[in-house]
Amino acid sequence: MIALPLCALIIGFLAVYMFLPAVPPRWADYVAIAILAGLDALVGALRNWLERRFDEAIFVSGFFANMILAALLAYFGDKLGVDLYLAVVVALGIRIFNNLGRTRALFVTARVEAKRARTATAPQ
Amino acid sequence: MATLLAQRKHWLISMTVVCLVLGGMLGVQVHTQQARGLTEVGRQTGALVARLTEAEAQLDKQREEIDRLRGLLAEYEHEAASEKGLVRLMTEELRNARIALGLLPVKGSGVVLELADSTMMAGNEFGGQDVYVIHDFDLVQIANELWAAGAEAISINGQRLIGGSAITCSARLIKVNDVTISGPFTFNAIGDKKNLMSALNIRDGVLDRLRVLQFQVKLTPQDGIIVPPIAVPPKYEHAQPVQKEDKQ
Repeated sequence: MIALPLCALIIGFLAVYMFLPAVPPRWADYVAIAILAGLDALVGALRNWLERRFDEAIFVSGFFANMILAALLAYFGDKLGVDLYLAVVVALGIRIFNNLGRTRALFVTARVEAKRARTATAPQ
Repeated sequence: MATLLAQRKHWLISMTVVCLVLGGMLGVQVHTQQARGLTEVGRQTGALVARLTEAEAQLDKQREEIDRLRGLLAEYEHEAASEKGLVRLMTEELRNARIALGLLPVKGSGVVLELADSTMMAGNEFGGQDVYVIHDFDLVQIANELWAAGAEAISINGQRLIGGSAITCSARLIKVNDVTISGPFTFNAIGDKKNLMSALNIRDGVLDRLRVLQFQVKLTPQDGIIVPPIAVPPKYEHAQPVQKEDKQ
């Protein structure tokens, strides 16, 4: 089940990497920001899924909207001469980190609870 | 169950699309970064390396030219010296002046001093790392000590010390004769071996101070030490010899 998205990730990477030309270097920062936003959406989705409140529409719209908004924010920051780029990187970085930590905690709790349930139902 | 499955499949499809997009963007980014690295840094270093090699080649050529001209000069002098009288005397005088100016490579007995940074690191009982590296003033002090002990010719890492030689430090780089040198430092000094040794080894002298801080100091008396000539002899643009009528 997880294999399909993973394959898509690799295929997407390879297809673009091999067949498409590089974008102008001045775009690189915005692409990086967009990637960070996408990663944030992905990790957020993972967390929501574990918390059983994953919503597909929110995930997909959030993924694309956040990507574009983050890149736009960085772009306007550049136009205004303010390093909003850094603000976006910091904000997204913290969020990704928090979500990853929360995901790990959820995993561990689920494990512990499953184990407890097993020992409780086991015959004495 | 069917709806759940459908929902799940749907979820899988959207996740796949998202991952495809993300992978594509990663591809763009990696590609761009690689291209950027190649173009900007690559071009810059390429150009710099080209300029450096060019400059070095030019320098080599000029050095060869200097050697050739000096050889020619030596030949003329040799011819002149074989004559007698005033010319011979003048040649002798010229030779001495050349040695004093550091224009000739000279050879003789003396001492070789090798000096490297301390093996101690910052965080030991004395202050910061600055204490444990060799500074320009250490070299100045050693050179002074050597001159005072009667050294006739001194070089540091191949840089001849002459009357106008400066040992300076800018941005943590030590420059001698405006040429950057870096540790370990080697002094070649020609002069009376005993005098030079005892001058450097004097109690509480410069070497003692460095030895206490565990600098790597190696002082050896040697015969046949060669001190190279100065690469760029000084020019005299402002200073003119005083004429008799100038004196009051």
